[in-house]
Amino acid sequence: MIRSRAGLSAGALLLATSLALTACGGGGGSEDEGADAKTLTLWHYEGPTSAMGIAWNKAIEEFKASHPGVTVKFEEKGFEQIQQNAQMILNSDSAPDIMEYNKGNATAGLLSKQGLLTDLTEEASKRGWDKALNSSLQTTTKYDEDGIMGSGKTYGIPNYAEYVEVYYNKDLFKKYNLQVPTTLDEFTKVMDTFVQNKVTPLAVGGAEYPAQQILYSLALSKADRAWVDDYQLYKNKVDFKGPQLKYGADTFKQWVDKGYIAKSSAGIKAEDMGVSFTQGKFPIMISGSWWYGRFVNEIKNFEWGTFLFPGNKLHPGSSGNLWVVPEKSKAKALAYDFIDITMKPEIQALLGNNGGVPVAADVSSITDAKNKELIENFNKISSEDGLAFYPDWPAPGYYDVLVAGVQGLINGSKTPDQVLTEIAKPYDENLADLGK
Amino acid sequence: MTLTANRAPAEQRTPAKAEKRANPLRFVILAALLALLLIVIAPLLIIAINAVKSPADYASGGPLSLPPRLYWDGIVDFWNRVDFGMKLWNSFITSFTVAVLGVLLSILNAYALGIGKVKGRVWFLVFFLVANLLPQEVLVYPLYFLSKEAGLYDSLISIVIIFTVIQAAFGTYLLTSVYQEFPTELLDAADVDGAGKLRTLWSVVVPVSRPTLGVLFTFFFIWTWNEFFLPLVFLVSNDNQTVPVALGVLQGDRLMDATMTSASGLIGILPAMLFFLIFQRTLTRGITAGAIK
Repeated sequence: MIRSRAGLSAGALLLATSLALTACGGGGGSEDEGADAKTLTLWHYEGPTSAMGIAWNKAIEEFKASHPGVTVKFEEKGFEQIQQNAQMILNSDSAPDIMEYNKGNATAGLLSKQGLLTDLTEEASKRGWDKALNSSLQTTTKYDEDGIMGSGKTYGIPNYAEYVEVYYNKDLFKKYNLQVPTTLDEFTKVMDTFVQNKVTPLAVGGAEYPAQQILYSLALSKADRAWVDDYQLYKNKVDFKGPQLKYGADTFKQWVDKGYIAKSSAGIKAEDMGVSFTQGKFPIMISGSWWYGRFVNEIKNFEWGTFLFPGNKLHPGSSGNLWVVPEKSKAKALAYDFIDITMKPEIQALLGNNGGVPVAADVSSITDAKNKELIENFNKISSEDGLAFYPDWPAPGYYDVLVAGVQGLINGSKTPDQVLTEIAKPYDENLADLGK
Repeated sequence: MTLTANRAPAEQRTPAKAEKRANPLRFVILAALLALLLIVIAPLLIIAINAVKSPADYASGGPLSLPPRLYWDGIVDFWNRVDFGMKLWNSFITSFTVAVLGVLLSILNAYALGIGKVKGRVWFLVFFLVANLLPQEVLVYPLYFLSKEAGLYDSLISIVIIFTVIQAAFGTYLLTSVYQEFPTELLDAADVDGAGKLRTLWSVVVPVSRPTLGVLFTFFFIWTWNEFFLPLVFLVSNDNQTVPVALGVLQGDRLMDATMTSASGLIGILPAMLFFLIFQRTLTRGITAGAIK
């Protein structure tokens, strides 16, 4: 009677395949856009105090004001419920009219392929959403007929973005008389100083996403946009023993050997990594902008700041989750209006002032100095078209493969060469499945 | 007189007791049991500690520090955020209905299989056992389409029906083996008294096996209460969700709110624990019910 949650993914997979068979044949329902609908059912899974939660609440208010007589039925959902069940829900009459959904091939891509999402291409160009998003942000909004991102029709609109940067403890930098590094060499020297003073420089969560993002950042320091397109969008075959990933794995290994990364961090979760940084136990943490709002609220005992991974033009990151309009939505026109409101400057500014990274904000409208730093960093990446997505995106189930590989590097049980061989295999198998 | 006579041996026993107490092995066992107890309740304790800790204290002190002051906002915020009262009611009404219907169905099945000795009952039992071992993930897809066809998707009724059947499968299996051992003298006596099959069931079999039924009821209730996967799939609207599904709301994409998650965990398990404590006596009675009186 005790059922393990481990079986969940197996069940989800089974569903994915079986639903794919039945869900085709949607589409083509544009005769009635539901402009006269009287309710808009809206789902998202952001907490009420997060930047998105605050901005979207405001957007709902504005929507009510501009659409008198329409009831907004907002339901806060759990991330897992949407992850597990989106296909089943969207294929039933319980589908919402608009919802937040994860970007990526395995999520939004899969649903679009099954005909469960409305094509937003026309609305996006009519309402100018496509102009508000730069090209690397648009990558995650477009999916082709195989559900692979990067080209094809637009199926979702993101309001915010996220990227990986370096958080540092200003007090500890001051204590050892260190400057913010601008090149990878300087960064290494900063970490050497900490090691000489018996301080482990990097807070790393080896059991979850943070460690692989460091390895990916290192690989990106030797990469260009073409390589990212090859790795993420399958434009050309990627050589895992090539200069980019080999450099990433070798350097990561060096960082462990030199003591920049503690051996014990192989078992640390992302949450514990964040808490250890807030407690001031580590001077540096390399992770995503999603920590920003929380650090603003929770770090009280020291001064902190951020800088982009020194020397890199490309950074792990992407658009945030997408607004999608289910094919079965009964109020599509209202849903488009709602998306339009979320893209308005005042909603975008609200998002930025609460620790989020708005996709289309004017820096001058961001009043909070701390949040300005976050958005200026993003705009710098954005102007260089520097979002390189995440290392685990290219293949289904790749996240766990990468976690295991990088853990092997941290605890020294595998050489960089072994790890690269290990992570190349599922990647190549996925390519073969896609027929590339 | 009888009192003193009774007391005398008790006084004699005291030195023996002292001797037992001095036995070092007893201390070792006691220490081991205490350690075991600590291991068992440690997760609960950590949840309780963090449930009443403010996010700022959690950020500066970590998960293991004691809260400097009690902070109830996490629990209150969570309660209001998910309308927890309604989730409690949903959970209670489904678990209770499932427990009642499940026990009823198990009784009827087991009466036929265990006492009625229906032809091919072994195969029935094998079937129920297999149904019981089937992982829910396999059932999801057919159940999803059936409930959609029947218009029961996103409704508590679908959950009640599904779990009544699932729990009754286990109940039938267990209760049949109990009824196979049912004293034939009682059945014969009922027969001689002229009681029909139904009368025998309600007046003889059910009262005698009441402790076992109590155990089944308690377990069905708690199992259904704790179910996560199928309710997650079937209860789409927030108005229909049960407690474990509501707890999932806090699970974010990348971040977790440790203090509020603890708060939700605490109020999520409290009802099941309370229920268990209330029915704990039925459980112990039910377990010893097998002993021949």
